[in-house]
Amino acid sequence: MGKENEKVTSALQNSDMEKASMYQVAEAVLFSFIGIRKKSDLEHDAAKIKPVQIIIGGLVGGVIFILSILSVVKLVTG
Amino acid sequence: MAVIQDVHGHGHDHPTGIMRWLTTTNHKDIGTLYLCFSLVMLFVGGFLAMGIRAELFMPGIQILEPEVFNSFTTLHGLIMVFGAVMPAWVGFANWQVPLMIGAPDMAFARLNNWSFWLLPVAALLLITSFFVPGGAAAGGWTFYPPLSTQGGMGTDMMLFAVHILGMSSIMGSINIITTILNMRAPGMTLMKMPMFVWTWLITAYLLVLVMPVLAGAVTMVLTDRNFGTSFFNAAGGGDPVMFQHIFWFFGHPEVYIMILPAFGVVSEIIPTFSRKPLFGYSSMVYATASIALLSCFVWAHHMFTAGMPVAGQLFFMYATMLIAVPTGVKVFNWTATMWRGSMTFEVPMLFSIGFIFLFVIGGFSGVVCAIVPVDIQVQDTYYVIAHFHYVLVSGALFALFAGAYYWLPKWTGHMYDESLGKWHFWLSMVFFNVAFFVQHFLGLAGMPRRIPDYALQFADFNMISSIGAFGFGLTQLLFVYIVIKCVRGGEKAADKTWEGATTLEWTHLPSPAPYHSFETPPVVK
Repeated sequence: MGKENEKVTSALQNSDMEKASMYQVAEAVLFSFIGIRKKSDLEHDAAKIKPVQIIIGGLVGGVIFILSILSVVKLVTG
Repeated sequence: MAVIQDVHGHGHDHPTGIMRWLTTTNHKDIGTLYLCFSLVMLFVGGFLAMGIRAELFMPGIQILEPEVFNSFTTLHGLIMVFGAVMPAWVGFANWQVPLMIGAPDMAFARLNNWSFWLLPVAALLLITSFFVPGGAAAGGWTFYPPLSTQGGMGTDMMLFAVHILGMSSIMGSINIITTILNMRAPGMTLMKMPMFVWTWLITAYLLVLVMPVLAGAVTMVLTDRNFGTSFFNAAGGGDPVMFQHIFWFFGHPEVYIMILPAFGVVSEIIPTFSRKPLFGYSSMVYATASIALLSCFVWAHHMFTAGMPVAGQLFFMYATMLIAVPTGVKVFNWTATMWRGSMTFEVPMLFSIGFIFLFVIGGFSGVVCAIVPVDIQVQDTYYVIAHFHYVLVSGALFALFAGAYYWLPKWTGHMYDESLGKWHFWLSMVFFNVAFFVQHFLGLAGMPRRIPDYALQFADFNMISSIGAFGFGLTQLLFVYIVIKCVRGGEKAADKTWEGATTLEWTHLPSPAPYHSFETPPVVK
């Protein structure tokens, strides 16, 4: 049991040190746009993604969101 | 209860009587002030609503001159939005945010006092504007130019009042953000915060984002009126439609500013009375954040008929429809929380379920209005009036009642009268629908808003609507009676009044909550 705990702790510490990849940030932001997320994935996000990353990710996501609506509008009107 | 140091008062001298309230820096006192103020303003705005409905009871001009009628509609909207709903939510935040995160007070206690005491000044400006030459502002609560650049002194007073109210909101928001980010109890990570605190954090950011935009619009109207500028005057090279864009860039997020804390309250109450944790907590946080973000990209759906390219109409139509997705997630989560829960139906739960039911109707009619060709038909008709009253009265106001009944035992130490509360709920529910459901039909039949007289074909539905409105107004007197009765006495409330409650104010504090609480922060596991 003790060993398992140690393993979990060291895994968490390792994951703390690892920076989240761009893909992981994008995934978190996209799920937030729909408004759903599995709890385990959320905990994973919370452990790995820094606030700065999520804010930048959110802003980029917002821009992509606007651009994608604009392209749909272009498609419909063009 | 180890965290409570001072249950019956504090060693420091603090003034009594009126000076206690004027100089207070205590978050509970200031919360009470906010709540009392908003209740008074609810009745002032309600009085104006009764005037409007009395005039519309029958076709023809009976009670109010058309100019006064226009002032009534304008001030009704402004007072309800800025004087009743917004301060009520700030009152809830003042009382509940420190209690729910285990903080001793708000971060900036004196700023808090100043934020509140600005409000009566603004209220006085709004109310007394009825008695100045030319009367109160009459261009609608949206004060579009050229109407707002033409009115008399009452319009200046209204604009100045909006400025002051905006300042108060910005200061309140800064206080709330700082309190939540810096003063949470040890162990309370962001993702462990109660939903009410989350929704207020996001609301506060929205307020800080859009209130300065409103301040800009108000300042430009003021300089157009008084200093010869032409921001919104086409004759001087300005553009009145630009005002609409600026106003609604504030105005649409403002809708969410009024409704997000309501989502928070309902997300506290439904799990408590279902005796289950909130279904999809993290989804709720994400959904709230994405609703807030999306709310900044949809403003022009308020002005489809003001003139804009088809591409613009389509963009705002699609963006508006997409907001229904995270909102739908929330409704799904509330329903899933109740699913197979061990539910009981005390008054807070009744108001919360009433909220979900009626807010969804308001949401549906919102999606209807989002469709450009439909909106062009229903723009400025009673359909829109029905839509936003479903969102704001049975949305924000019902959630305020739910929250008040939920936390009154913690605030006062007494139980409210359950059977009177149930009467309050059912009467509100029936009369609200009588007043507003028929307005959908009026709107679809083409009755315009903001008119004191109407064609004979609208007579029956208007009479029904007025009867419902009078009933709804009178029912709210019952709420005042219940609150006063509860403050003055009644059955002693248990510390953990609600069996299913899990937040810190129920688990760590006695009822009533002591004047100073959490001087030693609790540890959250």
